[in-house]
Order: sequence, then structure tokens, then C-alpha cells
Amino acid sequence: MESLWVDIAVAIVKILVILGVALGVGAYLTWVERKVAAHIQRRPGPMVVGWHGLLQPIADGLKLITKEDLFPRYGNRFLYNLALVLALVPATLVFAVIPFGPEFEVFGYKVKPILTDVNVGILLVFGLGSLAVYAIALAGWASNSKYPLIGSMRKAGIIISYEVAITFAVMGPLILAGTLSTYKIVQNQIDQGLWYVWVQPIAFVVYMFSLLAETGRVPFDIQEAEAELVTGFTVEYGGMKFGLFPLVEWYIEVLTLSAIGVVLFLGGWSPLNIPFVGFVDPLFFLGPLSPYVWFLLKVTALFLFILWLHWTLPRYRIDQITEIAWKVMLPLALINIVITSLIAPFVWE
Amino acid sequence: MVKRMVMKPLSWIERALFIDFIKGLSVTIRHAFSKTITTHYPYEKLTPPKRFRGFFGHKVVDGNEPQPAFDEWVERFNIQVEYGKSRCVVCLLCKRACPVPQLFEIEGKKLDNGKRVVSVFNMNLMLCTFCGFCVDACPVDCLFQSDIHETASYTRRDSILDLETLEKIGRDWQIRREHEPDRIWIDDDHRNKLWYENDLKLPEPKVRGRHEW
Repeated sequence: MESLWVDIAVAIVKILVILGVALGVGAYLTWVERKVAAHIQRRPGPMVVGWHGLLQPIADGLKLITKEDLFPRYGNRFLYNLALVLALVPATLVFAVIPFGPEFEVFGYKVKPILTDVNVGILLVFGLGSLAVYAIALAGWASNSKYPLIGSMRKAGIIISYEVAITFAVMGPLILAGTLSTYKIVQNQIDQGLWYVWVQPIAFVVYMFSLLAETGRVPFDIQEAEAELVTGFTVEYGGMKFGLFPLVEWYIEVLTLSAIGVVLFLGGWSPLNIPFVGFVDPLFFLGPLSPYVWFLLKVTALFLFILWLHWTLPRYRIDQITEIAWKVMLPLALINIVITSLIAPFVWE
Repeated sequence: MVKRMVMKPLSWIERALFIDFIKGLSVTIRHAFSKTITTHYPYEKLTPPKRFRGFFGHKVVDGNEPQPAFDEWVERFNIQVEYGKSRCVVCLLCKRACPVPQLFEIEGKKLDNGKRVVSVFNMNLMLCTFCGFCVDACPVDCLFQSDIHETASYTRRDSILDLETLEKIGRDWQIRREHEPDRIWIDDDHRNKLWYENDLKLPEPKVRGRHEW
């Protein structure tokens, strides 16, 4: 009985920490994105509110919250609000299966820094990822306006195409790890002394493409297409409701999917890996904190890489996007599965 | 001669290795780590070039009028010339040249000594396109466009320039910038701040009479 209460307490603490960190970091990533974008365009970005614009996200949040809540006259209010919930909840739920570090002991209790170590963690991630399509389709439909509808239809098409590619892409690491639990995948990579990106470069590329497509980042931001569709499915949303969609799509989803990418391909919290040599830890002086710092560093690097891509590339056309998904990425992922099953016995040793 | 630019399509190996992506990414990363080129606007302001088409003004009589045109127009219209007042001779050529002539409201009045002088000169800048035709038309180099470009105002009344405001802008301009050489950039430093790649020295302009540029 006592251990049940402890478990519940631990879970609540974990939930609070993860939610606070995820949403707080998500808000501050707007600032990071604006800074990165600005410097790529040789501007300094936000500079006025606080030191180097550090209080800008708070100012933006206050502004968005105090704005008038407008609603399109012939829209469907229930679906309109449901879309918000459907966008936010699955995106944040993915944090439940992201392992931040190795198991540790507090007062004799073993604590895993992962909310729930479900044995089908990856399945859960992609199930929740597919739910995003409902949020966007409903947002476009409930707004009763043509630009949101076009945007949401485009986004739905992209997500459906790339869900297939991403699922086949992660099949490779899953075969090598032999498990669906995110925690065990990282553990297996450490035991095998190998980041899966070294043996799965094709899967990694397919995963990155699908990540960009699912989160609506630049070469695939056709659902936003600010030049054609204003801002796609968020046109009829105002105030914080409008702020929530980019927050979820561009920051929380990118963050979760980069974290999953790190777990699957870059060895989670494990230090630097060199094939045939093993792990090298330049951050050994941090002691027990080193795995967390490594995880953070990898996710940050992947996130910044995605930002860098975003502010470099132009946009693909919708037919090119689906063509890449079905004609290039899916065959590549299938070829990768074949190669993986050939090399898997060597990796398992 | 037309230079023909033919882009070779990417080969398969280039596509597989994302050569085009890498080229683009290398450009952006180089820009990301180089110095910013912006001005922090409300705190720092650039001085526009002398030819900038900003708010209008009336140059005042200061002995530098274009001769003999000024004397001819003064004689023709029997204008009272007063030092430090607008050079306007009420010829209405600016209104004739304007694509939206109703934005000008120009009236002259007859003084007791029989001479004439401009009494009302209103420009409604709500209608103005800042094309500068009126400035070209002005025969006595009175109406001109200054470097004042922060034209936002709280009421519509504030966007109407009356004679007093125009003269004020003109006096200010004549003190500040009348003697500057007429070129796009103020000096080489200013030019290099924005176009540092083009690091070449402009030839020093020879200062000649005012209207011989």
C-alpha cells in the first residue's frame, strides 16, 4: 500500500516537472527560433524587451491572452475548441515516453526519469503523432473558411503520406533493438556500443524528412504557406488560441520528435559514440549529471539543425511533397528494412 | 550580349548526398555567425540621402535663390520678397504638375503697397504619393522634399502641412543640409556600413555653385 502512494507521488512529481519544462521550454523556443532566424538573415532579432529580448515570450503571451476572442460566424464552436485540445494533448503526451536519463536511486526507491516506461512506447508515439491530423482537419473544418480548409487538407495529406514513411523508417532501429520500449532501446544501444545512426543512415534521413513534414517545418510548410494561404488552418483563430497552434506544431512536436529521434538513432543519454571503439565521454567531470546533459545537448543540436534547415530552404510544392513521400522515402525505408535484417545478426552480437 | 545561364540538373550522386542542401546550409551558417547589418531603429536613426523624398518644405529667401529665374518670377507676379520668408511666387505650377491636385490649397493676398505674397499654402499629405512632380515643377526652387520621413500622426489634421510648417521645415533644411554635396550616400563610411562588400572610395565631389550639379 505504501509503495503505491510513493509511486503515485513520484508520478505526479514527474508529470509536473515534465509539463512545466515542456511548456516553459516550448514558449521560450519561440525566442530561440526568432533569434536564429534573425541571425541567419543578419538581423539581431528581439532586442528591446529584457536583455537581448529575453522577456519577449512573456510579453507575447500577455498580449495574446488579453486579445479579443473572435469566432467565425458560421463555424462550429464545439469542433473549433476541440481542435485546440486535440492539438495540444497528444503532442504533450508524447513526453510521457521520452527517457531523459538512466535509472537512479532516491531514498532506496528506484526512479526512472521517464514518466511511463510502456513496453510499446514507440507505437504510442506514432499513434499520438497520427492524432495530430484530426486536430488540423477539425481546425480547418470548424473555421468554415476556405483558406483554413485548404491548409488543413494539405496538412492531412502530408501527415498521412509521411506517417507511412516514418513508421517504416523506425522499423530499422526497432529490429536492431528488438524492443518497442524507448528506455530499452537506449539501453540496448549502450549495451551494443553503437548508435543506430551509424548503421541506419538511410532510416535517419527518412526520419528527418518525415519529422519536418509532420511538424510543418520548412521544406514542407505547405499547410501554412503564408504567401498563398495567409497562415493555413489558424486563420480563423485569435489570441492565445492562435498562439497555441504554432506552439504545439513548431515547438512541442519538433521537440518530442527530435527527442524520439535522439532515442532511436543517437543513443539517448549515452555519450559520444565512435563505431568499433565504444563510448567516449568528454563530459565525464559532470559525474552523474552527464547523461542528462548529453540528452539535452543532442536534442538541442537536432532542434537547432531543424531551425537551420527551416531558415535555409524554400518550400516544396504539394505534389512534390507527396511524390517524395511515396516514390522516394517509402522505397528507401523498405530497402533499409531489408539491409537491416541482413546486418541485424552482426549488431546483436 | 545576353549571358545564358544554364543550370545543370543535379546528378543522382549529388541528390543522394544532399549537395544542394549542404550548399544552402553553408551559406546560411556563414551569415548566422557574421555581424548584423541592421540599425536599432528608434534608438539609432540613419540619415537619409539628400535626394530622399520625404516631407515637403518651403525654402526661405536667403540670397541663394536660382537667378535669374527668381527675379523674373518676382517681377512677373509683383511679389513682395521678404528675407526669411517663403520663396513661393504663387504660380500654382506645383498644383498643375500634381497627379492629385486637390491636395494643394494655395492662395495669395495683395498687400497694401500693391505687391502680392503667398498667404495660404496647405498640402494634404493624406492624398500625396510623394512622387515629387511638384518639386520638379517649382521654378524658384521653393518647394522641395526634405529628409523627414517619420510621417505618422495621431489626427488627420496633423498630416496637413500649412505654410508655417513648410517654412519651418525649409529653414531647418537650409541650416542642416543645404550645403551637402548631392549624392546618394552621405559619405563613404555611411555607404560602407550598408554595402561593405563594395569597399571602394568615391571620388571627392568638387563643390561648385549650388545649381550646377
